[in-house]
Amino acid sequence: MTHTAIPAVGTASGDPQPTHTGAAPLLRRVRLPFSPWHLVLIPTSFLLVVPLLWMLITSLQTPGEANKFPPDLVPEHPRWQNYPDAWDAAPFGHFFLNSLTVTTVVLISNLLVCSLAGYAFARIRFLGRGALFVVLMATLMVPFQVTMIPVFLIVKWFGDNIWEGLGIDHIGALMLPNLATAFGIFFLRQFFQTVPVELEEAARVDGTSRIGVMFKIILPLSMPALSTLAALTVLTSWNDFLWPLIVITSTDTMTVPLGMSYFQGAHTTQWPLLMAANVMSLLPMLLVFMVAQRYFVQSVASTGLKG
Amino acid sequence: MAAGSDTVAHRSVRKRFLSADNAAGWTLVSPGAILIVLFGVLPVVMSLKLSFQQSDLLSPKTPWVGTDNYERLFDDPQFVDAIKNTIVYTVLYVPGTMVVGLLVAAALNRSIRFISVYRTAAYVTMAVSTISQGIIFLWLTDRDYGLVNAALGVVGIAPQPFLSSPSQALLVIVAMTIWGWTGFTVIVYLAALQGVPAELHEAAAIDGASAFTRFRTITVPLLGPANLFLLIWLTINALQLFDEVYQTTRGGPLKATTVIVYYLWNRAFVQFDAGYAAAMAYTLFAVIVVITALQFRLARRHVHDS
Amino acid sequence: MIRSCFSVVLAAVLAVLLAACGGGGGGDGAGGKTEVVVWHGYADAQGENFTALIDQYNREHPDVNVTQLVTNSDLVLQKVLTAVRGGTPPDVAYMFGSWSPNIAEIPQVVDMKDHVSQTGWDWDDFYPAERAAATVGDKVIGVPALVDNLAIVYNKTLFADAGVAPPTREWTWDDFRSAAAKLTDPAEGRYGFAIPADASEDTVWHYLPMLWEAGGDILNSDNTKAVFNSEAGARSLTTLQQMAVTDKSLYLDTTNSNGSKLMNSGKVAMMVTGPWDLSTFTDIDYGVQILPTYAGSDGGHQTISGPDNWVTFDNGDARRQAAVDFVKWITAPEQVKTTSLATGDLPTRSSVGHDRAFVDELDKKMPGTGVFVENLANVQKARPTVEQYPAISEALGQAVVSVMLGESEPAQALDAAAATADAALAEK
Repeated sequence: MTHTAIPAVGTASGDPQPTHTGAAPLLRRVRLPFSPWHLVLIPTSFLLVVPLLWMLITSLQTPGEANKFPPDLVPEHPRWQNYPDAWDAAPFGHFFLNSLTVTTVVLISNLLVCSLAGYAFARIRFLGRGALFVVLMATLMVPFQVTMIPVFLIVKWFGDNIWEGLGIDHIGALMLPNLATAFGIFFLRQFFQTVPVELEEAARVDGTSRIGVMFKIILPLSMPALSTLAALTVLTSWNDFLWPLIVITSTDTMTVPLGMSYFQGAHTTQWPLLMAANVMSLLPMLLVFMVAQRYFVQSVASTGLKG
Repeated sequence: MAAGSDTVAHRSVRKRFLSADNAAGWTLVSPGAILIVLFGVLPVVMSLKLSFQQSDLLSPKTPWVGTDNYERLFDDPQFVDAIKNTIVYTVLYVPGTMVVGLLVAAALNRSIRFISVYRTAAYVTMAVSTISQGIIFLWLTDRDYGLVNAALGVVGIAPQPFLSSPSQALLVIVAMTIWGWTGFTVIVYLAALQGVPAELHEAAAIDGASAFTRFRTITVPLLGPANLFLLIWLTINALQLFDEVYQTTRGGPLKATTVIVYYLWNRAFVQFDAGYAAAMAYTLFAVIVVITALQFRLARRHVHDS
Repeated sequence: MIRSCFSVVLAAVLAVLLAACGGGGGGDGAGGKTEVVVWHGYADAQGENFTALIDQYNREHPDVNVTQLVTNSDLVLQKVLTAVRGGTPPDVAYMFGSWSPNIAEIPQVVDMKDHVSQTGWDWDDFYPAERAAATVGDKVIGVPALVDNLAIVYNKTLFADAGVAPPTREWTWDDFRSAAAKLTDPAEGRYGFAIPADASEDTVWHYLPMLWEAGGDILNSDNTKAVFNSEAGARSLTTLQQMAVTDKSLYLDTTNSNGSKLMNSGKVAMMVTGPWDLSTFTDIDYGVQILPTYAGSDGGHQTISGPDNWVTFDNGDARRQAAVDFVKWITAPEQVKTTSLATGDLPTRSSVGHDRAFVDELDKKMPGTGVFVENLANVQKARPTVEQYPAISEALGQAVVSVMLGESEPAQALDAAAATADAALAEK
């Protein structure tokens, strides 16, 4: 059985080369120049990516081509002009800036606030912990369509009484209800529970405060969880449509998903332009994910876990 | 996987410890708790009031009708049907997504070349809007022009109506949503798989365990917290299914895909009967609370047994 | 680690401050002008036209600043609902005609009755169905913004290839049925006719003109009972059943997304649709004809129209008056003409609709529109503007779709729907 050395940056299972374990001896002889996993992953990825491919194809069609069923899959003359056309149809530059601002603030706030709370729920036994957790989780169990009007009224109250920037039709209003979510707290609570308790106890015996433990032990060991939550939060915040729809009343404050309305009339939709705008909207998120991927891999060596 | 163990300790020390814990706990929890109470809990309570009124959300006349809305629910055959549809959907969707997600995540959990491209492909499914997903599935499953029926035709099976059939439509929605949410499940499992120490696998491999056995006996149990998270989150999600139904079947054909949240949205914003919709939402809420509590309890027992 | 966290948090707070100062909302007028905020769902040509009109109005009225917000027209109701509850409605909003009975309940909605009876408005110049859709009881809740109607759009090439004579004004529904059957070719995957079959109002309003032509009605004269479960109702629903179940010449678009696409791909020979679809049929040679009649019925030629309204909200005397003035201007004959020519939408005023030169010009820009304009004269009946209409529509929609899917018979399905409708009508 061949075995590669333990890599400094370890992955949980799987090595750069296929391991030969328990498989028929015949297969050992067949050494592909690449990992056989590619044969599995390529079709799987293709299946997963089909909607994106369809979006790309549609974004290069003319309106006539897009209005066919069954759809033509290969546009004869890809209409790249759709992209600048979509960009110019509405002040998308402004929309992107607004979306970027909102998403950044919501991301940072969530990572911070949900980490603090998630750690407390995971590791600290405080009075009322169970009840509070239940109450917070309850907010996940009522659909937004039901609560959106009260949320609107509360945010309006903030705008009228605390600070205008948080009120209706301001960017602050887009951020305010999303600065922390029960989802984030629940998610991090689960992952923080997997950090070995001994590490924390050792640090606390040394006199580190709770917050210190959180920043020095828990967070560094939870990079995969944190970067996952970051990716998910960016996704949700960027694509949020219903809340901005009801709280934004001027074009200046609109976000990218609202900008898509420019292509959806009452009876007809301009599919090529809409898909071009959708593709452009996807790109920042893909970027975020590619960057976040570097943190997905656990750094085992830095934790002193061995032995 | 609870923290620490509650061993025998002196009462006075315990009290001091506990109050230090209380202070620390509440301090850390308060920013999140305050925000969520303000923008999550308070709206939930405020809309509870609506369920005791008759309201169309437009006119200021909202007469108090007490528990009438709740009583109507029990006589409403459409509500019962919506519950049935939602249950069928949830029971198929939650395990389906978890299994598919785990398998794909396991496949993605290696560092071969282009692995980041494959992982990005999984992420992309979540970034694609439900509008696009809906259109693709509508096309793929079309009875006359869809690819699935074309493929079935090759094997000699007659074309299926899929989304046009009251009996098949819900199953197609299950498939469509499993596909749409695989990305999310994969991401969560990937993060969890990172926490499985490589040494355990290596030790077992040296002892002669196959990849599959190692996966089953080492990896899967250590995914406990992630499993619980996904089980609860996906169940809550499933019970609140709306977007995908709105984008494809609009609850049809003949109400076959009318799930609870779609039904209540219809009552509130199409039939202008918002008080009734709120009563439905709260009934659903009560059900979700019960189911989630059961899931947590079962999980705790399971952990204690193992 | 902590230091870098702090700097990130600081940057975030700064971002919030900057954003709040920068991206402020609409609200106070610039330099003392009266603000008129208009919410609508116009896109594409309609959007460009509307923007140009607003610019023109702002130029000609320097004391007023009209601004627009492009929003999703399906969801503008939820937006308005929330805004009304929060006390921040717009000044003018484009609302679907089917929402009229419920909009009438909003206290901030301006009752236009006294305004439109004044000179200069020419209220009677608007087609009768539009006025009916804007009137709820004795209130006039809006001013017509859009009108359309349903007619046959057919693929000339497919007819010629199959050797079938294209639709004429003298057609009956039997002629329609036999043509559809002849044009259906299962081997080619081609259908003679397609209909939205998602049981929504879209399905219902395709059925209603057939009901009316057969001599039937939706409700009785004081809107207290459903009467569509009559012989006329069964007769018209049977036509659809014959095409869908017996002849299999009718494509049931159960998700209401593929109809016009199939038409444009040459997979469907005939559709019953409105003028908005004409611009999407870029790949076929199409013709337009009015709906067939029922032989032996005195219903004659009828069709249905779906008017939408500009609804005005009261945000104080100055803004209200400015909003009313703007709506008066935008619905005046000259603007109606401009809009119609720019967008291909039908003119909302009969004076414009009877202007031969205008109709010819419109028809040249978008062939077939001329037939739709003339068809406006066939709009004899309108859907009742009662609060319970959504419930009635839902019951009827389910009945029609269940018959077309072969799950029930017309008479029974209509009786069941009538029972549901009566129950809803009795409630309020």
